[in-house]
Amino acid sequence: MRDTAKPQVMDRPKKSVKLAASQQQGEAYLAAVEAVLGSARNDYDATLAALPVPHRRVERWKYTPVAPWWTDVASTGVCTAAAAGCEPCPVPGLDAYRLVFVNGCFDAASSDLPVHPGVTCMPVSQASHEQPVDNDQPEHTEWFAAVNGKFGREGLYLRVAKGVILDRPILVHHHSSGAGVANVLRHDIAIEANAKATVIQWSSASADANGSVNALTRVAVGENAQFALDKVQDEEGQIRHVAFEDIRQSRGSRADVHTVTVRGQWVRNDLIFRINGEGAHAELNGTFLPLDGEFVDNHTTVDHRVAHCTSSENYKGILYGKSTGVFNGKVFVRPDAQQTNAYQQNANILASDQASMNAKPELEIYADDVKCSHGCTIGQFDEEALFYARSRGIGMEAAKAMLVHAFIGEVLQGLAVPEVRMEVEHRLAEKHHWETFNDEPGA
Amino acid sequence: MLTINELKASIDDAQILKGLNLTIKPGEVHAIMGPNGSGKSTLASVLAGREDYEVDGGSVDFDGVDLLDMDATERARAGLFLAFQYPVEIPGVSNINFMRAAVNGKREHEGKEPIKGKDFLDMVKEKAKLVELDGRLRNRSVNEGFSGGEKKRNEIFQMAMLEPKLAILDETDSGLDIDALRIVSEGVNAMRSPDRSFLVITHYQRLLDYIVPDFVHVLVDGRIVHSGGKELALELEEKGYDWIKEDVTA
Repeated sequence: MRDTAKPQVMDRPKKSVKLAASQQQGEAYLAAVEAVLGSARNDYDATLAALPVPHRRVERWKYTPVAPWWTDVASTGVCTAAAAGCEPCPVPGLDAYRLVFVNGCFDAASSDLPVHPGVTCMPVSQASHEQPVDNDQPEHTEWFAAVNGKFGREGLYLRVAKGVILDRPILVHHHSSGAGVANVLRHDIAIEANAKATVIQWSSASADANGSVNALTRVAVGENAQFALDKVQDEEGQIRHVAFEDIRQSRGSRADVHTVTVRGQWVRNDLIFRINGEGAHAELNGTFLPLDGEFVDNHTTVDHRVAHCTSSENYKGILYGKSTGVFNGKVFVRPDAQQTNAYQQNANILASDQASMNAKPELEIYADDVKCSHGCTIGQFDEEALFYARSRGIGMEAAKAMLVHAFIGEVLQGLAVPEVRMEVEHRLAEKHHWETFNDEPGA
Repeated sequence: MLTINELKASIDDAQILKGLNLTIKPGEVHAIMGPNGSGKSTLASVLAGREDYEVDGGSVDFDGVDLLDMDATERARAGLFLAFQYPVEIPGVSNINFMRAAVNGKREHEGKEPIKGKDFLDMVKEKAKLVELDGRLRNRSVNEGFSGGEKKRNEIFQMAMLEPKLAILDETDSGLDIDALRIVSEGVNAMRSPDRSFLVITHYQRLLDYIVPDFVHVLVDGRIVHSGGKELALELEEKGYDWIKEDVTA
């Protein structure tokens, strides 16, 4: 599924600004990771050398402090869920296939691979004889993605053959445990024509964990195929998490990605949809509720390359304490992408006067017969609504929880797997000490 | 029930209430009338616990406890209800869940278990009848997309659900047509009882044709300057407020 559209002005390589100090830190980081993981792919060395190591003077990293990455990498840590003391399945009652990765290693004993006609599913390290997922790699444009290219040897390989509908979701569970760990994971997913699959990507980390997660997911969604990804980040400890999802869509396909950051010291999500076939729909929603000291960054791109496609995006953040958030939403509508209907919404609440949010919608529209709308807000809790609720005998915290639920509810409702939604609600309530998140009548 | 003594309150350094005295006994309906800017809505807000207002002096005793010592939630749970002049819309929170949280808040205060789903729904059905509140409106987001009349009926529905000791109606008649006014008033009248008191704040006498007060007070410049029976409202309707203002200054 190569890109067919002619290169446009937005494809011109951005002037690469290298900062000597950052390059040095990047090299030191690579050496430290290599000392622990060894290097599988020396062919990325040239790419890594060519790409600027991110720093604040690059627009895409302006609000994203990378300094926390330049700490020492000490060990690979334990390799099984049992040794790490973590539940293989973080979602109670979830009926799903499962692949568990602990500190970047595949834990076969904790996993439950699908046995399903037309479905090829295995750890990527065992998939060398399988048909590769045909997808241009994002590893050539972003330094952290190139790091993944160099070191990423483990992850999910999934191919769902033409017309096959996977009967259960596939849970991909990353867990980090121990000091100085470097998790590098790459997931290759191909959903062939008229096929349908749902993947849950759940990242957890134990309270004593520190280190990094670098996860790269490439998805090719075939003609009239449907793909849904529920992505949950709930990491304790001191974890830096950078994630790339590169999703290619063919004609008539539908792809949904929901990203919920429950806990995370430092999180950067880079999500890109490349819509290559007419009649496709992309849905991307996300929510994040960082507490004191947490940093959450969502960079999204929707690239409308052909005509008659739709995309809908809704990101909602509530920032507490001294937390920081970043949202950057790019929407490209190329000259050939007439009759595009693209919607983007980003709404944020600052729940504390020490929290900060950096939000930037970026729409680049080169076609003249399109409907593109976007909205971006940063505000506070509605004081009138809070007083109204309190005047009815509802406590301040319960009233706030009610407004929070109303605010992020539409994002959570979009999660493909109801058990995931319920568990996310439970964990959000636990994190923020809300009495309950349940809002169902009669409960 | 309620004893207000020399209450002084301000907002943004502007003194609005300047020593207000009022006593309401159980079962009584008091009306407060007065010209614009006299402090009627400020009184309602201060009693309900709106934090924008600063209480500069005086005391308020509510059924034996110090009202000013409680926050808005505690006042509501203790049995005080304010029907808002401008009910607030809360998108995404269904009316019914909002009310269940409110009812359970009160029950928690009384040391009771949260209400059972079925009991709650039965209660909603019964109370909604009082003000002819459509089932459709119960399930929608709080006040969102409600007409002016529907919002006011929803206020009275909430009051009926919470069964307060003292209900303050802040200009409940504003924005109501004659039919809605009748429905709202009938809802209020159905709730009158020997142990429930009402403080009806209004600019016009019209509402008092429907909700007949025991006492009428005239608020001018942050003080109650004149009190009387229900006939005082008619006199005000006829003569306006100027004669009282002149009385005060004289």
